[in-house]
Amino acid sequence: MSNNQSEMRPLEKIIELRLPSRLGYERVAMDTASSLARRMGFHGDRVDALKTAVSEAVTNAIEHGNQHDAAMKVVVLLTVRDDELIVSVADQGRQMLDQHSTTRIPQIQDILDKDDKGGWGIWLIRELVDEVEFTTAPSGGNQVRMVIHLER
Amino acid sequence: MKTTYHSASMELSIPSELGYEIIARDAVAVFALRLGFSPERVEDLKTALSEACINAIEHGNLLTPGLRVHIACIYDHERLIIQIHDQGLKRYACTTTPLTTAEKIAGLGSMRGMGLLLIEQLMDEAGFLPDAQDGNCFRFTLYR
Repeated sequence: MSNNQSEMRPLEKIIELRLPSRLGYERVAMDTASSLARRMGFHGDRVDALKTAVSEAVTNAIEHGNQHDAAMKVVVLLTVRDDELIVSVADQGRQMLDQHSTTRIPQIQDILDKDDKGGWGIWLIRELVDEVEFTTAPSGGNQVRMVIHLER
Repeated sequence: MKTTYHSASMELSIPSELGYEIIARDAVAVFALRLGFSPERVEDLKTALSEACINAIEHGNLLTPGLRVHIACIYDHERLIIQIHDQGLKRYACTTTPLTTAEKIAGLGSMRGMGLLLIEQLMDEAGFLPDAQDGNCFRFTLYR
């Protein structure tokens, strides 16, 4: 972060979490985000929404981005601002996300017709948080940036 | 002895500011529960981790804004090792034999400085790494 940015955002604090790409460890990211959001003053229903969104984002990173390779890490950045919490989830990009999939609204009949009932994650994230952005991480992997605003 | 680390290792970095040790405590507690440690042991771990982070923030980093505390959790099937690394504005130096908890309670010294004693009581191994680079590194271990 540059000095100029620091001056613009004096209250910005960052927590960084590096997790193994193994299903189950999304729980660590969920509970860390939840602990932080509660202490920032988010209401219970917003914390629950955030937990679900973080869980979906980290699960996607483990399953798709890192293809379940436990040696690869998922990096979660939690940026605390006085009026919002930003959660960024990045994988190492063994498989890159099809950008089309980030805007598609899943059709329930299509999902029911498939053996794999997944495919709701990105849509769910969009429904649960205030802002979502899918980009490429500095490391070259997939990155999703989610923002929830603090309503006082 | 060469140690082969289980892939279930985790790293966490927090602002060096009192209050953020609670976030670290909660993150590491969930991690240890995922590894199968009992809730009782995890409660001990939470206390030890909070104390160690507060030491790093207050003493190692001297409450200086902008610094960070780095926490590494390394699991190798037999034990969980936690390393807390500060930026070492003040290096840890134990020049005298510290008072025991009982001596402090008996009024023989300040009631401050109980953190390290508490961590030693709660964890299976604990201590500063003597050859840590770029700051103090405090390590404690929880065996299965």
